[in-house]
Amino acid sequence: MAMSILRQPIRTSLKRTYSTTRPFVPPAALRDIDNAPRQRTKPRPESPTFYTARSPYYDQLNSLESAIQYSRSALTKFQLLPLPAFARDSLPHLHPVWMDKREMGDALSSKLTTSRYRRVTQLLNELNDHRRIAHAAGCEDLGEGIESIVKLFEKKNQEAILARGKRKPVKFDKYGRSYTLGKRKTSAARVWIIPIAKPSAVPQGQSQTPEEQQPDKLDLTLTGLEDVFSDPKAKPTIPVTPATVLVNNVPLAHYFPIPADRERVIRPLKLTGLLGAYNVFAIVRGGGVSGQSGAVAHGIAKGLAAHEPAIEMILRKAKLMRRDPRMVERKKTGMAKARKRYTWVKR
Amino acid sequence: MASSGLRPWLAATRCLKKTALHPSRQPVRYAVTSFSNNEPLKSVEDWRRFQEDRAEFKMLMEYMGQYGSSQTRDNVFQPHHSLHKPLAPSEATLSALIAAGAHLGHSKSLMNPNFMPYAYGVRAGITIIDLDHTLPLLRRAANLVRAIVSRDGTVVFVGTRPDLRVTVRKAAERIGPQAFHVGERWLPGTLTNKLQMFGPEVSKEQRIAPDLAIFLNPLSNMHAIRECAIQHVPTIGIVDTNVDPRIVMYPIPANDEHPRTAELIAGILSVAGREGRLIHEQETQRRAQANERFKRGREKNAAKVSTVHD
Repeated sequence: MAMSILRQPIRTSLKRTYSTTRPFVPPAALRDIDNAPRQRTKPRPESPTFYTARSPYYDQLNSLESAIQYSRSALTKFQLLPLPAFARDSLPHLHPVWMDKREMGDALSSKLTTSRYRRVTQLLNELNDHRRIAHAAGCEDLGEGIESIVKLFEKKNQEAILARGKRKPVKFDKYGRSYTLGKRKTSAARVWIIPIAKPSAVPQGQSQTPEEQQPDKLDLTLTGLEDVFSDPKAKPTIPVTPATVLVNNVPLAHYFPIPADRERVIRPLKLTGLLGAYNVFAIVRGGGVSGQSGAVAHGIAKGLAAHEPAIEMILRKAKLMRRDPRMVERKKTGMAKARKRYTWVKR
Repeated sequence: MASSGLRPWLAATRCLKKTALHPSRQPVRYAVTSFSNNEPLKSVEDWRRFQEDRAEFKMLMEYMGQYGSSQTRDNVFQPHHSLHKPLAPSEATLSALIAAGAHLGHSKSLMNPNFMPYAYGVRAGITIIDLDHTLPLLRRAANLVRAIVSRDGTVVFVGTRPDLRVTVRKAAERIGPQAFHVGERWLPGTLTNKLQMFGPEVSKEQRIAPDLAIFLNPLSNMHAIRECAIQHVPTIGIVDTNVDPRIVMYPIPANDEHPRTAELIAGILSVAGREGRLIHEQETQRRAQANERFKRGREKNAAKVSTVHD
């Protein structure tokens, strides 16, 4: 049925008239005959790869190969190819994210098999390598030219894919507050950390001199105790800023009655010496008491690292930046609990 | 161990002990010599200096080159010359063919009996091809390509091996829009199953069958050769000693395995094709001018006749 439908267009379109002998021309009309060779009516195919029957794919492949040849010769002229090992090592690493097979097939307007896709990506990797060398050496024109070709085959969400698995930077709001999440067992804590404004250190009843107007600097010549013993009404020179830690809108001491939990929450601030520097506001849900304290501590550690990147290493060494992966192990069949086995019976 | 008296050629192996072959004792000929220290390149200025050092070294070599051999990279044979600087059909010589290894056939036992007229003899177990037959046949094929292209014909270069892919592409590009190339597998039915391969519009509107097909490895493309025979397309092919030369219309008996031979032959044919294209362009120009003159003459005559009548 399908074949008979196909046969009809063949009959009409490819029908040819064969004339094996020349047609008769009366002698009077001979001089009007155009003796030029018969011009072909149909045009010839346009693409040089027409006879491969996969013209779009091979045309694209050929153009990519031409681009590679051109960039290679240009880089050779600029003394950038072939690169010795030490120069190649100093190049930045390549992280290309090419389109997948289906998208690439749409871009090349031909269905791609795996081997063809691999071939295209191989050429693109070489072109990308040339781009990297051109950019590193400062040949911006060449680099931009190569980029215009390579960009057509890169995935649209390339940055998002490359950023997967990396820690997202903590954003501060307009008041300078950080918002971080902390987790432990099944508890989750949302922690806001606000830096405390430094007070001007003007103690009452003391005359001001230019040296004493620096509140951050400690006066090491005199200890505070001497001042206290000499003058009972004198206040200490070191300014003290009390920090507030609120958990679920409740002060720390009220929410965590057990001292161990309180210590766990304060530990990040103690280790880094930032006890009076930041106010903490946390909302924690799920789990039990110590789980919640661990979650708040995790959130505080991440927030402090965002405010002061220098102390991140201290917290990382103390394993406070790490989300504790220990969770309650499930009960298994044939056992009383996760690990507890039933009493062994000999018979 | 053989004594040097009985088997003197083994004396060399006795001299070279394993310790002598140790890499630490061999002269370091492969070390990279650079005039700058091999520090990692960080900034753009570092890269600039690296490029300048290299350019300086090259200039020094070029300057010193005038005191050494007169052979330079440009006037000495380079392997890529057969692809980028092909010979013209008039420059094809026996020595060029031998240099390209065109005379080396296949094993004696694999020789096709129909190839006998083009075989010179047997040496080292392989059949040697008679290049005194090859050269005129190559010239004939070149004349054919030139004639077909000068009459607005289409030519297809078929070379379906990975090393022939670049050759056929370059040859087709040299001739211009009238030439095509197939560097990967020829899909069976390209000429005989046009409707399915190219669709109804293309098969109706464009001329599919080429006017000449050139095969650089005909033995692997028997389907294509059969299709060309069915569609009455003349064929040129490089026939080796294990191939029957009658499969193509214009055989060129030569080595079909060595890429250099294929590059040489495809280059010669493409240069002939380029000449044909120039002839075609000149012909079309000349005919256009003649038509113009004829039209102007007719108009003049018509004006004269009308004035006479008046």
